[in-house]
Amino acid sequence: MFTMQKLVNNTMEITTSEYADSTAYDELLGTDLLPRPVAKPLLDYLNSLDHAELAARRQAVDATIKAMGITFTVYSEAGNIDRTWPFDPIPRVMARTEWARIQDGLKQRLTALNLFINDLYNEQHIVKDGVFPLEVLAGSGNFRPQCVGVTPRFGVWAHISGTDLVRDRDGTVYVLEDNLRVPSGVSYMLENRQIMKRIFPEVFRTTHILPVDDYPTQLFETLAALSPRPGDQPVIAVLTPGIYNSAYFEHSYLAQQMGAYLVEGSDLVVGSDDVVYMKSISGLQQVDVIYRRIDDGFLDPDAFRPDSTLGVRGLMRAWKSGKVGIANAPGAGVADDKVVYTFVPQIIRYYLDQDPIIDNVPSYLCMYDDQREHVLANLDKLVVKPANESGGYGMLIGERATQEERDQFAELIRANPRNYMAQPTLDISTAPTLVDGQLAPRHLDLRPFVLQSDRLYATTGGLTRVAMNKGSLVVNSSQGGGSKDTWIVQEEDS
Amino acid sequence: MLARAAEKLYWMARYLERAENTARLINSTTHVLLDLPLGASFGWTNLLEIVGLDDLFHQHYSQTDEEAIMRFLIEDARNPGSILSCVQYARENTRTLREVLPAEIWERTNGMYLYIKENATIACRSRRNRYMVLDTIIEQRHAIVGLISGTMGHDLAYQLIKLGRNIERADMTTRILDIGSAVRFPQDNVLKEALMERIWMSTLNSLSAYQNYRRLVNMHVHRNDVVNFLLCDDRLPRSVAHCLGEVESCLRLMPQSQQLQMNVTELSHRIVQGHAERLDAPALHEYMDWLQTKLGKINDALTQRYFHAYDNGMPPPAPDQAEIEFAEQ
Repeated sequence: MFTMQKLVNNTMEITTSEYADSTAYDELLGTDLLPRPVAKPLLDYLNSLDHAELAARRQAVDATIKAMGITFTVYSEAGNIDRTWPFDPIPRVMARTEWARIQDGLKQRLTALNLFINDLYNEQHIVKDGVFPLEVLAGSGNFRPQCVGVTPRFGVWAHISGTDLVRDRDGTVYVLEDNLRVPSGVSYMLENRQIMKRIFPEVFRTTHILPVDDYPTQLFETLAALSPRPGDQPVIAVLTPGIYNSAYFEHSYLAQQMGAYLVEGSDLVVGSDDVVYMKSISGLQQVDVIYRRIDDGFLDPDAFRPDSTLGVRGLMRAWKSGKVGIANAPGAGVADDKVVYTFVPQIIRYYLDQDPIIDNVPSYLCMYDDQREHVLANLDKLVVKPANESGGYGMLIGERATQEERDQFAELIRANPRNYMAQPTLDISTAPTLVDGQLAPRHLDLRPFVLQSDRLYATTGGLTRVAMNKGSLVVNSSQGGGSKDTWIVQEEDS
Repeated sequence: MLARAAEKLYWMARYLERAENTARLINSTTHVLLDLPLGASFGWTNLLEIVGLDDLFHQHYSQTDEEAIMRFLIEDARNPGSILSCVQYARENTRTLREVLPAEIWERTNGMYLYIKENATIACRSRRNRYMVLDTIIEQRHAIVGLISGTMGHDLAYQLIKLGRNIERADMTTRILDIGSAVRFPQDNVLKEALMERIWMSTLNSLSAYQNYRRLVNMHVHRNDVVNFLLCDDRLPRSVAHCLGEVESCLRLMPQSQQLQMNVTELSHRIVQGHAERLDAPALHEYMDWLQTKLGKINDALTQRYFHAYDNGMPPPAPDQAEIEFAEQ
């Protein structure tokens, strides 16, 4: 029997009715609605604020976000190219010991995935050894024949990756998705911490919260290691599609943090010497490393889409002749396919001879007859995803779909089974989120970022995205999602 | 420095300077109007002529009262020179320049934009609100200039900002100097004397130069002294000669700028030796037009040499005849 429970005094209220209806794991509260040990200092602090104080802080957060100009872009709103970033001031807290295991798991996963990509574009041992089916490769929309035979420096293709993690009802953390093309969100992870420090400085004295701000330095070093002119101070450029891109804020932010140039395709030219040059006011200047934030297809009209105006003619030629480093390497997306995803546990075992530290969500592949039959018979319980889409597009959430939608999807699956995989609907975890002055459970995920070149680095925590609408599982910012600061805290010695 | 970034920096500085200058011009004109004798014909429409926006104004407005002109100059998005437009362009440029500017400059410019957006309408409604809002804009702009000189590395990016600021400033000084030619003086000689003094005082005021003038030149406001002061006196930061001196010192730090430096020096000499104060009103007006054309040519030369040198995929051309001769009549 739940009543309106107050944590300590008469201040921070938890909407117990919503919690009573929730079956999900909560990141901060136990089943008894008492704080988990790692979250206790935070919740004690929140309790020390009365309603008026909390409301004032909430306002200060909004004003800060507005003043800092932290925005993201929404395509559909013509004329309005920026919207302020939706931020929830209640952090998500995780113990350092748990995080250390996840960090190891992320590094393991990325190491294996990079070995896998390099193998696919070269000898394809994994196919010859019968571990990875040729038909999956043949059906991959992100395999780039233009990249066959290339081995980038260190054999690494995905230098920057974002791995989406979720926690199920029993507390197990799963990998939901690998993002190996142009993952975004890290700037918001960094800015969220800045906001918290500005608005809630006192709380940083109650707990030992590990800092997150070494990411730009790590990113710089990761990119610098790709320079074809080692030893010199490399010229690094962030290649953006421009101001109308949804992640433009992040592109300029990262360039600023790293002291790199922010360039558009039209700022670069490739010379007959295969060197990439930047149009500077002092003449043409050699660019050593490009952190590209545009998709493969737009990189180089000579190699990919001939109609692209975002890219640079001759860039692939420059990259293949080793005159410029590109991160992530063209073609890295081959391993960021939802069907390839289901093979990651085997990929880890094959290349590293280790068991995966973080599990995949159990998945069914529609290309196999028995698994497809299971999927088609259980469409109302499953989430079906197409192989090559991201951002939640083209997906079926069986439980919430109409019979008609499910029938349509069954047709799509039968027509192109290679293109689909399915997973059970997870009861992903929640955390208390400030809604109308009270704390209500809202679902969230976590996107840590992993860097790999001459080094292997995983962020401390990551970007926590939260579905702000009640019951919603959609955390994408374009669809009502917000974010929280993510705290990895050092537990007290006991 | 990336050529595209260089152009945006330069224009960011010009837009901010223009926003401030427009705010100053409105505030000082408001003051002088309060003092004018009844027979005088100086009015708000003169202001539109000074900034060269009278045609655009008449396209959009049928009334020419104070409120309409204020809306046009302060908040009208259809006017690319309105204060709101200028601050908005400056903000958009700053957004794309975050990798070369200190983070606080973005926050300040963003803050200035949010302020003018919220207050532009009340500023157009009454003279009292207007003064307060425009004064705040000037203050906020000064905070940005302070941040730039106090926190930014004095590198090429800094020089480009200084270039943009001084070219815009020189241009505005020539326009404000033209104020006299826009006034239809009454027949009465006594009235005319009083009016002229008022107008020139306002001119000095809008450039924050009145106090300097009295201290450095003369306690009395004489037209010829004012013209000479605003064109030639290097001690005044808004005089054309001073601005050109700043432009020249920036150019000295820019790559391959020898020719352009020489041209600017030549132009400065011509101004100082030109004795424009001896010209009568129509001739002075022509002289100001000529000066504005020259400043436009410096702008064109910068654009051609640095910002758009690669538009045809070609390396920057050697200085061409037009560039070399730009200081010639």
